[in-house]
Amino acid sequence: MKMEDMPLSGPDNTKLESLVHDIYSELVEDACLGLCFEVHRAVKQGYFFLDETDQESMKEFEIVDQPGVDIFGQVYNQWKNKECECPNCKRLIAASRFAPHLEKCLGMGRNSSRIANRRLASNNNMSKSESDQEDNDDLNDNDWSYGAEKKAKKRKSDKNQNSPRRSKSMKHKNGELGTSVTSEPYKYNFNTGISYETLGPDEVRSLLTTQCGVISEHTKKMCTRPALPDADPVVENDGFDIPDGQTLMSRLQWEDSPDISPTDSASSKASTNHSDSRRPKKKKRPSLGLNSGGGGGGGGGGGSSSLTGGSSSSQSNISLSTKKKRPKLSAPSIPSIYDDLN
Amino acid sequence: MSKDSQMRAAINQKLIEMGERERLKELLRAKLVECGWKDQLKAHCKDVIREKGLEHVTVEDLVTEVTPKGRGRVQTLICSKTTQFCTLKQDLRLLK
Repeated sequence: MKMEDMPLSGPDNTKLESLVHDIYSELVEDACLGLCFEVHRAVKQGYFFLDETDQESMKEFEIVDQPGVDIFGQVYNQWKNKECECPNCKRLIAASRFAPHLEKCLGMGRNSSRIANRRLASNNNMSKSESDQEDNDDLNDNDWSYGAEKKAKKRKSDKNQNSPRRSKSMKHKNGELGTSVTSEPYKYNFNTGISYETLGPDEVRSLLTTQCGVISEHTKKMCTRPALPDADPVVENDGFDIPDGQTLMSRLQWEDSPDISPTDSASSKASTNHSDSRRPKKKKRPSLGLNSGGGGGGGGGGGSSSLTGGSSSSQSNISLSTKKKRPKLSAPSIPSIYDDLN
Repeated sequence: MSKDSQMRAAINQKLIEMGERERLKELLRAKLVECGWKDQLKAHCKDVIREKGLEHVTVEDLVTEVTPKGRGRVQTLICSKTTQFCTLKQDLRLLK
């Protein structure tokens, strides 16, 4: 044992040394004794030999210390280059891509249902799309990647630009132009500054024949929901022999309430649009000054349109609440208004 | 020699009072475990127990078998620790 700083005299050193040694050995003995007690207790309690099983399993789980292998003996990238056969399509897929491929192949994942829905929606709009469907299939396999999804979405919007619906609305104009209106809207993607005052009556007519045309209060965008299937130019004879204004009103009453846009029954502008949209769906006759969009009938037209707005909103409220149960009751009241005007 | 023993007793007592003894003890134990002294000694104990038979081993047996070996091992493993003790003793002496 070495002593470093020893300012003391010789004999004291040795004594000190021996003292230190004694104290030290006492401490060591204490430690040994502590260990013995611990072991003895473990033996008597029966848990001393617990960490030792039979020789066989000891050998099995021995720590491995070879290069290229972890301590359990497993290789790190063993499955990197393996290929697995898909049970569904019998193709050989790389191991790391196997799970996403299965998801698409079996049609049972979050993404695959999304894609299927999207595909259904796009197929509904298109008549002939053999080649496009094929493209979709190929895309679906890679759909997990953001780029492919973007491509798919872009392609879909391209598809709708050439859809028959577009050309139908174009033909519908009967030789008039109005092309400015139809940069053909995809739901709610219309020009933001649209207002019916700026369009001519023919444009509005053509526009509203094919689409809902209700302008949202919040976003100021026009609803591009396609017109109802039974809204084709078939004159519906209600059996009423009343002038046009009353025909309009009666038709308003029989319309389905869900067609009414949720934002509009309060505002006059929206409700006048509402009335305009209702009319062309049932009959193709040109409006009689009830068209608020057109420059129309000047003061009379303006007056009638505002009144129309008021009564139509009440009409719509009634039809909403009673669900077409009181058309006949309210019909008598309306002709009175128009009698005054006419 | 009684003076020495007296001194020894006094120093011991001082150590205990200061709590230094406990501290030193814990320090030593930690060092022994770190060095692996404890595991080696435990393995030695296992051998002894296997020899004697699991049921009949007693504390005394273990102590008599294990302590000398343990001591010898400690000497080889932890020599530097003693310097700490030395300085301590120095302080004690000076205090006295």
